[in-house]
Amino acid sequence: MLQVLKTLRWAQPVRALSSVTTSNVATNVTTTAAVPAPEPDTLFSKLEIELRGIDPAVLKSYTWFANTAADHLGIEKGKCWSPRKAHHERMTLLKSVHIYKKHRVQYEVRTHFRYMNFHKLTGSTLDTFLEYIERNLPEGVALQVSKTELQQVPEHLRQPPEQV
Amino acid sequence: MNFLKKLAPHIALAESQICKSADLHTSAVCCRVQSGRYRITTKRNRPLTYEMANPPHFIAHRKSWNSWNTSTLLDSQRPAQTAVEDLFIRKFITGTWHALTCSEIIIKRQHNTIRIASIIRQAISPRKMYFLIGYTEELLSYWMQCPVTLELQTVADKKDVVFKYI
Amino acid sequence: MAASLTRLLERSLRTTHAPQSSVRLFSNGSQKQQQQQPEVEDEEEFRVLNLRPVKQQFQRRRDIRRDDVTPPRTTRMAVDQDWTAAWPGPRSFHPASVPLPLRQGFTERGAAAPSKFANAELMKIPNFLHLTPPAIRQQCEAIKKFCTPWPKGLETEAKWKPHFPVEVITTDYCQSLPTVRNPEARRVTVSLKLSDLKFDNHARDKFLRLVGERYNKETDVLTFVTDRCPLRKQNYDYALYLLTACYHESFVTEPWEATKSEADMELYLFERNQAKRSAEAILNWNAAEGAPKKAASASYAQCVEQLINEGENEYNLAKYKEEVMKMLNVAAQ
Repeated sequence: MLQVLKTLRWAQPVRALSSVTTSNVATNVTTTAAVPAPEPDTLFSKLEIELRGIDPAVLKSYTWFANTAADHLGIEKGKCWSPRKAHHERMTLLKSVHIYKKHRVQYEVRTHFRYMNFHKLTGSTLDTFLEYIERNLPEGVALQVSKTELQQVPEHLRQPPEQV
Repeated sequence: MNFLKKLAPHIALAESQICKSADLHTSAVCCRVQSGRYRITTKRNRPLTYEMANPPHFIAHRKSWNSWNTSTLLDSQRPAQTAVEDLFIRKFITGTWHALTCSEIIIKRQHNTIRIASIIRQAISPRKMYFLIGYTEELLSYWMQCPVTLELQTVADKKDVVFKYI
Repeated sequence: MAASLTRLLERSLRTTHAPQSSVRLFSNGSQKQQQQQPEVEDEEEFRVLNLRPVKQQFQRRRDIRRDDVTPPRTTRMAVDQDWTAAWPGPRSFHPASVPLPLRQGFTERGAAAPSKFANAELMKIPNFLHLTPPAIRQQCEAIKKFCTPWPKGLETEAKWKPHFPVEVITTDYCQSLPTVRNPEARRVTVSLKLSDLKFDNHARDKFLRLVGERYNKETDVLTFVTDRCPLRKQNYDYALYLLTACYHESFVTEPWEATKSEADMELYLFERNQAKRSAEAILNWNAAEGAPKKAASASYAQCVEQLINEGENEYNLAKYKEEVMKMLNVAAQ
């Protein structure tokens, strides 16, 4: 795994985090022309992960893994929960080929859900963490990630337009 | 001879119709009540693996699924294609490893890779086995257009996988 | 089989009819050279004529030489081995590599569950053997250098909200499919509080009319959900475009907006209503021609607006009564 991780192709090696503090939020970071301007890191207030799977035990183990990884990486964990009942998709068919309507067989596909929340991640942390846990996604589990990105008000919307 | 000439278009038509009907390949209906269940023999000597000993309604209770993918879950894509591909993989492997597979073929899909697990009898030499592994992986990955890995376990004899006799 | 039979026949024939046998030999052509050598040796030996082709001698079954099966790897494993090296990645369970006395399977009461060898159930279930706690720690330490801390000064939502009021929600999907595309991933939600944008009265009214359903009055949150374009980037751009266009459009006053009648008003305004004229008429009763007009007090205007906009309740009515008496200089009884 270590070797695999070493060969991971990171989209951007390390994104420099422009130290966003309350004092210099409004003023853009001034950089010299020679050095390529470091791309300011994005901020994500919340990362919501929805897991779907056929086996609740696998989902539970995976949740444990993701939470442990978040602990090691120093990510703030939020609520982690799963609905009590799985979603059942049922099909009811005749048991016989075409007669005996009272005798049916029922097939169902169950989908178990599990939700995890993580809070306050920077862009590079989020990429690292997501890539790590997505790579270790076990078979038969689908992952859905909702990311809430924080942004400033666009430049042209800060002041009302002067004369229209 | 003229008679035959007259007949020729009819024959051609009949042939084309035969060909059309031959396009649809049908197999015997697997009755939903009987499929996956085995009858007791009088001599009580039918060997069953663990998989065969538990009928389908025990899936997720006593035994687990043979195909692991996300296509059957709620709101997911390609359920039909995945099922057909799995069927093809099963047929291909049982045919390629002829009379060697002792268990069901387990197909696990993780991201875009397919991992195929199975129990194989040690009836052929390891060299042949290595060849077959490479052959299967290469061909399947060409057809499925994704990496395929074979993860085999071998047993010395077919009786090793037998769970009970009925 | 056939070759040996012919050979026997040839020999039997040769003893009686020598010339014929030679002919036969010639006819065989290619076989002849091979057969000539054993001929010399066989002449000394008396060969029995096997008239009845009895069953061929039972050929001894060739023993299938099997290579030695190596014993399970678990027997050679050290107790303190590095497990992350023994099981580095996701893999189906293999009994020879896992030194655990696992058993899996349902049996009738009293019987032991099937052991780990030749157990398909253990191979089916996804295992986390490559994600043991030491492995997770090791890997997390390796990737920790790519992480950056959350900036100081933005610890709580109340602190970051003034600087980053816009929230963009996107969704990623990860499924076991040969494709990485998911049409649902194109959806983008952009939301911000209306109080973060600067408006004047007219612009605010017009903006709310333009966005319509996208504004939630209770929470004061404006939300744009876009899924028109096939790509996420396009949808994001489209959402920002919508926001910008609505914002700028709301500051435009069209000529037809002057024709807004009382029926179109969304709020009761004291300034443009009969109440103001009535109040002024009462205040300026019998006033001299040139004298400055007296206007109704601001508090009166406010309480009338409140009464009509919020509806009649006890507080508003009491306030109205108080203001009216104050305006008319009627002493409370």
